[in-house]
Amino acid sequence: METVIYNFLPIWAVMFPIFMSVIILITSRRSEKLRNGLSVATAVVTFLSIAAMYPVIMSGKVIVFTLFDILPGLGITVRVDILSFCLAAISSFIWMLVSVYSIDYMSHEHGGNRYFPIFIFTLGSTLGIFMAGDFFTLFIFFELMSLISYVLVIHEETREALRAGYKYLIMTIIGGLALFFAIILTFELAGTVSLSEGTLITVPSTLAFLAFIAFLIGFGMKAGMFPLHVWLPDAHPVAPSPASALLSGIMLKTGAYGLLRVIFHVFNVSVIKEARWDLLLGVIAVITILLGSAVAITQFDLKRRLAYSSIGQMGYIILGMALLNEKALVGDVFHIFSHAIMKSTLFLAAGAIIWKTGLRNINDLHGIGKKMPVTMGAFTLAALAMIGIPPLNGFLSKWTLSLGALDAGAPVYVVVLLVSSLLNGLYYLPIIIAAFFGGEEHGEGVKIKVSEASYKMIIPVAILGIGCLMFGLMPNNIAFELSLKAASFLFNHAMP
Amino acid sequence: MAIHVPVLLIVILLGASYSVPLLDRYRKNLAFPLTIASLSAVFVFSLYLIFLVGRKGPFFYHLGGWPPPWGIELSVDFLAVYMLMVLSSIGLLVMIYGAKDLRHELKKEVLSWYYTLYLLLIGSMMGIALTNDLFNMFVFIEISAIASCGIISIKEDRRCLEASIKYLILSVLGSGCVLLAVAMIYMVTGNLNFVYIAAELPAALALYPFNILIALSLFIVGLGVKSALFPLHVWLPDAHSSAPSPSSAVLSGLVIKIYAFALIKLLFRVFPPQIYAAVPVLDIILFLSVLAVLVGSIFAMVQDDIKRMLAYSSIAQIGYVFMGIGLFGDRALSGGLLHIFNHAMMKSMLFMAAGLIIYATGIRRIKDLKGIGVRMPWTMGAFTVGALSMVGIPGTSGFISKWYLALGALDLGRPFYVAIILLSSLLNGIYYFPIVIDAFFGTKVEPRSEHRDVPALMLVPVLILAAGVVIFGFFPGPLLNLIEKAMTR
Repeated sequence: METVIYNFLPIWAVMFPIFMSVIILITSRRSEKLRNGLSVATAVVTFLSIAAMYPVIMSGKVIVFTLFDILPGLGITVRVDILSFCLAAISSFIWMLVSVYSIDYMSHEHGGNRYFPIFIFTLGSTLGIFMAGDFFTLFIFFELMSLISYVLVIHEETREALRAGYKYLIMTIIGGLALFFAIILTFELAGTVSLSEGTLITVPSTLAFLAFIAFLIGFGMKAGMFPLHVWLPDAHPVAPSPASALLSGIMLKTGAYGLLRVIFHVFNVSVIKEARWDLLLGVIAVITILLGSAVAITQFDLKRRLAYSSIGQMGYIILGMALLNEKALVGDVFHIFSHAIMKSTLFLAAGAIIWKTGLRNINDLHGIGKKMPVTMGAFTLAALAMIGIPPLNGFLSKWTLSLGALDAGAPVYVVVLLVSSLLNGLYYLPIIIAAFFGGEEHGEGVKIKVSEASYKMIIPVAILGIGCLMFGLMPNNIAFELSLKAASFLFNHAMP
Repeated sequence: MAIHVPVLLIVILLGASYSVPLLDRYRKNLAFPLTIASLSAVFVFSLYLIFLVGRKGPFFYHLGGWPPPWGIELSVDFLAVYMLMVLSSIGLLVMIYGAKDLRHELKKEVLSWYYTLYLLLIGSMMGIALTNDLFNMFVFIEISAIASCGIISIKEDRRCLEASIKYLILSVLGSGCVLLAVAMIYMVTGNLNFVYIAAELPAALALYPFNILIALSLFIVGLGVKSALFPLHVWLPDAHSSAPSPSSAVLSGLVIKIYAFALIKLLFRVFPPQIYAAVPVLDIILFLSVLAVLVGSIFAMVQDDIKRMLAYSSIAQIGYVFMGIGLFGDRALSGGLLHIFNHAMMKSMLFMAAGLIIYATGIRRIKDLKGIGVRMPWTMGAFTVGALSMVGIPGTSGFISKWYLALGALDLGRPFYVAIILLSSLLNGIYYFPIVIDAFFGTKVEPRSEHRDVPALMLVPVLILAAGVVIFGFFPGPLLNLIEKAMTR
């Protein structure tokens, strides 16, 4: 069915950052420059290792490798198919840019010696999730990433940060235990939890339903799905901005990725349809979309607004899964790309503004666009993409999702997408308008003299901002191509 | 010579135990080296026995050459060598840790007596693990009860004495139950050897059902008291929290488990399986274990003394072992047995880490532990590993035992118990993680003036155990192998 290639490269891509984080921790005491350099170098090398898999993956092959067995039949295994590759590639790419961004950002902050090793370690564990060969390995890396990113969340060590971190930690444990339950149920029912075995559970039963719900809780928690999103709006804004960008841009996707694997590997489309679980997913998705977007309007802290917006956007991704057809899935995977790029642009831009001015409240940001045109330009591009204005990447993903919804015969979802676009406009446009057209004379504008942040921070933001444009301008771009193939691979186990 | 190794284990320990105070009269500084030497020898012999049994299969050793119906028999099988390995490794590490800690916690005059009691305790537990004779088991149970009472009360302050009297009374009650049960069994079968009893019991069950049932329930109550099965746990929090730290480590880590182990041996090797179909003994154990798991954790949450919290956590953790017994399936029992070792590692490590903190700073209150991780990163690092393992994060040994218990529960079609395991894991997280978080992050406290440096000798055992928790979390293969063989015999 699948052409399998045994290769060590995925393990290397996972283990190299984890190993380097120790080196970075050791060197950080000696020299700050060396620490920063090593962090960026690690992220770059990791990205290149992932990119090196491109030709093999595009030819429709699957890379697998087993490191060692922990329990009989359960071990550390990796398996890279096209979907894994999509997520691993976008993650390591954004990680690379954020690592450059972090250098200057962290020079102002305390605890850089803690930040960088953890930052790199998280990269390794996140890639481990995306490239895991079975749910057991996935679970190990999932827990590793969740626990280690706690340190990123509470980095500021303020009272709010610790409170948000505690909430995050408890929710993470609950999610992890739900996953444990789900995985052990699957193991009991199917005798294996490998991703290479095709469908693991083919008959809906009470236990299968329990497993599905537990998976939904475990991965949905991470994905910020309603009603398990409560930790997200607290945890994402309190983290340092580069970490927020990764938390919102990448780490939320681990939940979405897990759900995709559950739908297409533990179960399959016909089982889910037969048991009507797609309806459950659809309802949750609609609530998540509307709730995230609606609450975002009421937030005036810039990063908090972005965090709520993430909840809404994750709703799109869950919706794409609920539709259960190939076109929707293309939109789904493409939206994972889009949202990763958009949200990290937004958070990094917001971080640059906060870093430069110390202002977080939206009402204080009048006229900031004139002072920091590049940063706000990138912010504008990403925000417009969020609203879904052509020709930006957000438009393309919404368009494909809507086509999928129509294919599924559920135009109501299209209405939901439109309403949410309107809401997105309501909370993003005022920021942009005020930033560029609100002068200082209109009340409390930005009175302090500011200029652009340092080039190490601007360049990643600019690259990502341009990415929003490029991935929308050219409908045949690499991300869309990958999404098409990934969707086809999940549905037909073959690439077009 | 090689054939005498099983009895040598006990002889070495008991012999060393009696010679320590004698030696102490002439050479003050020989007591500790002798203790360590004997424990190391026992550790090496235990490993040798694992090797021997693995190669040649289980064998019996007849004490003094007297064959079973008359003489005492030691059964050297996979189950026993597994337990020997647990006892000797943890026992040795705790004693290494105790070298410095005891000098700090105890008066000089009683120091050598501590070694005596400690060796006696380890020796008697080895006896319980090895023996194949009911009355002999009772004798060893008594020795270990007295010895553990001794290592609690040796600190001679008010709380310790109170706790040890409480323990003594309940423990004697337990021993009484066991003795009565032994008598009952002897009455109906006329034998004390496990193998002989197991052969006689099915026939005797038809003739004297009540005697056997009463004996079974007395065993469960007697050993349940000693292993602190809820609701017979009332003595444990006082005893384990007030004792010197090495005592707490060995009491929580090993002593309560050995009685659970004895119960496993009796339930699975001696009593006929049909008895469990007739009366819901196992369901009762299961029910109590669920209560233990939940109530222990809930009590642990409200404690403000760190050692007391760890003690309550032990009550919850022993619940897992009993859950493994109560589920009565292969995989569940494997999980229970595995948890004996895993919890021994985790809990003795946690108690030693707590002891290190108390040694260095004198702080016992959890609230005062803020920022301790910055001052004692290694200690709190080990504590963190222990906490993660308690919650059952994958990559730690606690995960493996939970995995097996949960699989065992599912094998029997009881997902309810999986839910209980998960709920209790969450509770563990709720009381362990805040300690870790407060230790490393948040408020910066001024370093206290009365901060003492921790000797490396005390830190090393803690770190070895922390490493063990992680290593056995990734490579539980050898342990599982041993347990699997122990189950099939």
